[in-house]
Amino acid sequence: MPEARLRLRRAADLALLVALLGLVTGLTAMRSTLGTPVTLAGGALLLCGIFAGEVAEANRLPRLTGYLLIGILVGPHALGFIPREGVAGLELVKGLAVSLIALTAGTELRWSLLARVGRPVLRTGTAIAACVFLAATLLLFALHPLLPFLRGMSWVQALALSAVLAAVVVSFSPTVTIAIIQETRARGTFTEFLMAVVILGDLVVMVTFAVGAALAHATLGAGFNVWALLGSIGWELFGSLLVGAAFGVAMLVYLRRVGREVPLFLAAVCFASAEMGVRLHLSPLLLSVAAGAVVSNLDEREGGRVNHAVEKAGLPVFALFFASAGAGLHLESVLTLGPVALALAVVRGSAIWGTSRAFAPAEDPRLRKWLWKGLISQAGVTVGLASLMARSFPGPGEQMEALILTLVTLHELVGPLLSRRALIQSGEVA
Amino acid sequence: MKSLLVFLAVGALSVLASSRAARQADRSFLVSVLATSGLVFVLVGAFLGPSAAAVYTAADLEAMQPLLSFGLGAAGLFIGLNLEPGVLRGLPAPVFRAAGAQALAAMGAVSIPLAAVLYASTPLGVLQSLGAGVALGASAGVSSGHYAVLWYRSGRMERAQSVAVALLATLDDLGGLLLLAVAMAIGSGATPLHGLGLVALTAALGLLNGALLAYLCRRVEDPSELVAIVLGGAALVSGAAAFLSLSALLAGIACGATLSQIGGKSVDRLWKALSRMDRPLYLLLLFLIGVQVRLDDWPAWMLVPIFVALRFLAKVYGGRWGRKVASGSVPLPRDVGYALLAQGGVSLCILAETFTLVGRARAQVVFDAGVLGALLNEVLAATAFPRAFLTPPRDAQRELKEAGLA
Repeated sequence: MPEARLRLRRAADLALLVALLGLVTGLTAMRSTLGTPVTLAGGALLLCGIFAGEVAEANRLPRLTGYLLIGILVGPHALGFIPREGVAGLELVKGLAVSLIALTAGTELRWSLLARVGRPVLRTGTAIAACVFLAATLLLFALHPLLPFLRGMSWVQALALSAVLAAVVVSFSPTVTIAIIQETRARGTFTEFLMAVVILGDLVVMVTFAVGAALAHATLGAGFNVWALLGSIGWELFGSLLVGAAFGVAMLVYLRRVGREVPLFLAAVCFASAEMGVRLHLSPLLLSVAAGAVVSNLDEREGGRVNHAVEKAGLPVFALFFASAGAGLHLESVLTLGPVALALAVVRGSAIWGTSRAFAPAEDPRLRKWLWKGLISQAGVTVGLASLMARSFPGPGEQMEALILTLVTLHELVGPLLSRRALIQSGEVA
Repeated sequence: MKSLLVFLAVGALSVLASSRAARQADRSFLVSVLATSGLVFVLVGAFLGPSAAAVYTAADLEAMQPLLSFGLGAAGLFIGLNLEPGVLRGLPAPVFRAAGAQALAAMGAVSIPLAAVLYASTPLGVLQSLGAGVALGASAGVSSGHYAVLWYRSGRMERAQSVAVALLATLDDLGGLLLLAVAMAIGSGATPLHGLGLVALTAALGLLNGALLAYLCRRVEDPSELVAIVLGGAALVSGAAAFLSLSALLAGIACGATLSQIGGKSVDRLWKALSRMDRPLYLLLLFLIGVQVRLDDWPAWMLVPIFVALRFLAKVYGGRWGRKVASGSVPLPRDVGYALLAQGGVSLCILAETFTLVGRARAQVVFDAGVLGALLNEVLAATAFPRAFLTPPRDAQRELKEAGLA
């Protein structure tokens, strides 16, 4: 079939779906009482996501960009076909998707790989995180008289809150990176390095955020308890790894002894790990990464099976997750906080570009040239840290969260395109 | 957290109970009956609900509403996909007469007296009591053919009789669903005409969704993508109906029927892809229905014996009447009513739909009585079913041929 015709057909599929949603929205005017919109949101975003992904693919864009854009289009901030409460009701699916993605990432983290690239990854990741952190802190501090949430604070308080905000600005997106890697089926040393930097970089970010938040609380008069700080960081990091390892062993037992309905089983485990992460203050991302790594390192064949099963179950989960992420983006805040977010994005991008050119291993020139493109995306971890920030700092925290969500909106639109470009340029896309 | 883990465990159980091994009739009849009817999932749900073990709280039940709507829409979609108008058109008139007679007897015998009891014993008004009675009647009219299937599989029953009983049960389902549509027309709008408009809107919504799904599925070859699209379609149709306060079940049926009629070759691919999903989804739906039941609903317990007794009498005598109006052209035993005592999933779907549309405050008693009644009817059916076949069947195969069913 000619390519132009194929594109047209896929666009027509999507247009029909959107038209049906428009009709349903129009019919709401006829009803005095409305029921729950969550099921509608789930079905509509899933179907729209699947077909928007195909349209994007036909237009040589990442599927993920298609998922996000259709979510924005039919979501509450653009056409308004999906009510806000409907999108909010899909939180459980978001947790499932993050856990599934992290599980796949974990299966890629083998000891052999960590032994080979662990040091350079840690060095590069830490250098990039430190530079971005410093640059973002300086920018925010310099702008603090203009920022409503930092205005009127003493310079120490403004500096501390700028640091907390900067820690969130640093964060990367393992979900987007791994989804793009899965989509393009990229394999090779560049891909491994990128994935490892993103995952380990986010560990550094989590620790930095926890320390920064504790210090900021101290400057705001809440006192500073070093033991409580160490306890909370230790629990989140090591607790997640330990619980994740236990999950990994349990999964391996199931895969070896039962071995049936693997996609369903993995979905159930990921649901449980996502919920457990939230309730026990563990990181669902780390927990699933650890589970995947344990399975893969104890039995490479079963690790491959997990990967294959997630790939099978992945299409609907990723389509729904990223489409609902798109629908949840706060477009209205782009208008008000856009200039500051844009400045932060430019500073962040420049810092990532500069430091990856300076610190990435010289042995592989591709890393120095294109690694930065894979590090621009921001999504789940950033949003999670932003909401934690809002809860931790009532008052300024909410505005800080809005700023971060604006930044995420900008990065979600650009990041997947850049990640895909980096993988293609590295020559590792199958 | 606890509620989610329990739900996951029930999900795992539903997959296990759907396995071929669990449903083998020659293993253990009781186990296979429980696995086939799935009513054990209703019981488990009821015991975990807020009124018993309280693993699920009232807030959890509210949070489960989208899942319940999805389950009803998906159940409707599967029913619709199973509908074969060609086969229905090919059935001889006596089959419809037999089915109609015994279903109408059950519906009438249950609806009117229970509406009177509800009006006298609860704060419901005349129309509300009538609506509640009709909902219970619709649920009472429905029968399940799973015993006939199991008996046939285990070699205790001839194919002809098994087919005849299963056919009556299927037509009962359609009658029950039709009555749900009528109840919706009467009760859901400001006037009956408005209600009729809403029923038409529900059907149109399902029809449009079904046509769109058929169009979207036409070139999808990958089974996992096909499953994703159909489940997305089920969520879309049930979600749209639930959002507009319409019946997700009826919209799902219209959607499935349209898809089966115009889906062409993709329908076969679809069935193949969905074959491992439909059963676990159905069992999970039964669990979700069970969780909504309040075991401490004493007024409902008072209604249960009346409901069960009236339905029992109506099915036994209605069955005889049905056999009579079929004038011997369908191979039915004299006491076919005993074979139609089991209620099955569709009746529970009708009750759950009423519950969802009317609201917890007004429909809890009716819902509880209907679900508890269905559970009791399952027990009753287990003992009564063999009685239907105590008299040796006549030459059933010959009768079937004569009736054009072979």
